[in-house]
Amino acid sequence: MRLRWVNRLPALRLIVFLLATTIAVALPSSAATRLKGRPAPDFVLKSLSGENVRLSEFRGQVVMINFWSSWAGPSRMEMPRLEKISTTYGGNGFVLLGVNIDDTADSAASFARAYGISYPVLLDLHKSVARGYAVETLPVTVLIDRGGNVRFVHQDYRVGAENTYVAEIRALLRE
Amino acid sequence: MSIPSIALRARGASFRAWPIVAALLLIGGLACAAPAADAQAPAAAQPTAAQPAAAQPADAQPAEAAASAPPEEFRSLDTDVQDLKKEVLDLNKDLFVLEEELLFPANTQVAVYVSMDVGTFFNLDSVILKIDDKEVANYLYTAREAEALVKGGVHRIFIGNLKVGPHELVAFFTGKGPHERDYKRGATLKFDKGVGAKYLELKISDRIRKQQPEFIIKEWE
Repeated sequence: MRLRWVNRLPALRLIVFLLATTIAVALPSSAATRLKGRPAPDFVLKSLSGENVRLSEFRGQVVMINFWSSWAGPSRMEMPRLEKISTTYGGNGFVLLGVNIDDTADSAASFARAYGISYPVLLDLHKSVARGYAVETLPVTVLIDRGGNVRFVHQDYRVGAENTYVAEIRALLRE
Repeated sequence: MSIPSIALRARGASFRAWPIVAALLLIGGLACAAPAADAQAPAAAQPTAAQPAAAQPADAQPAEAAASAPPEEFRSLDTDVQDLKKEVLDLNKDLFVLEEELLFPANTQVAVYVSMDVGTFFNLDSVILKIDDKEVANYLYTAREAEALVKGGVHRIFIGNLKVGPHELVAFFTGKGPHERDYKRGATLKFDKGVGAKYLELKISDRIRKQQPEFIIKEWE
């Protein structure tokens, strides 16, 4: 009986190893990236300019949602580059929405002013939309196609990521 | 594999299959018996169906009618059928009442709609809805949605369930009033929820005399 268990040990070790690897691989993709290929959760938020903005009203256009906060360093690096993308592709079937998850609207407003952000900045003071998109780190950038499906999700920001954004936006605009 | 082992297995299989075979036979027997019973029933019903046909010649020839009159047992069967029909009708009535009280479409019991008439004195931004001091809806209207309301659209802001009895609905409207001023108003309605669906309308209209918007909660039957 004992011998049999000894014989089976390598197989058991292999199973445990495979399980651990699967869990380790699955965990990072369990957050926002899990939305890829699914319909983007709809939301309505108040913008800094006072208008209410609903995501589903942009159906038919390529939408980029950027979750950001004034206290997140990578957001500060990323936003001027996003502004450039918005001015280049905005009005050509592309919309960029910045979703701010600060606790107050004032901090978002002063930040947007300081960085000269012209695209709509939406206030998610209750973090309900961020929860819907499983935002765990900041910034998170979500690209939605014309059909309203999430196609690309980028967590965090690294220098040069804007080139990837542009390539993806162009690909989605061509569809 | 040797021949005896196959035989043993076959025996084992036949032994194990006994209860299944017996069950199948039983089911088969019951299945055969059921149509037979059904066949008997129409046969029994036939005389009752033929009764009116038999009654017509009875007027002309009473002697023949007496001979062809349905037997006593068929009459009792007919009355039994009538009683059963009555019971079914009573049961149906009871079920209908139960359905009204308990199973009435649960998702349509209480529905609240928002509508706008003209809307020159009020630019709708959001509506917060409270029923019995509990917030049930908080809706932000985009410019397009507000425009659709002004054009005659109606928005169902809430649909839910409420117990039968008195309730209080409070609606808070926020937006831009006359001269682009921030505007917040509330409207309250106490209503009785009866059996069946209840429809309420939050109506925003213009009061031209006062140059102010007006908020009314209307109860629909």
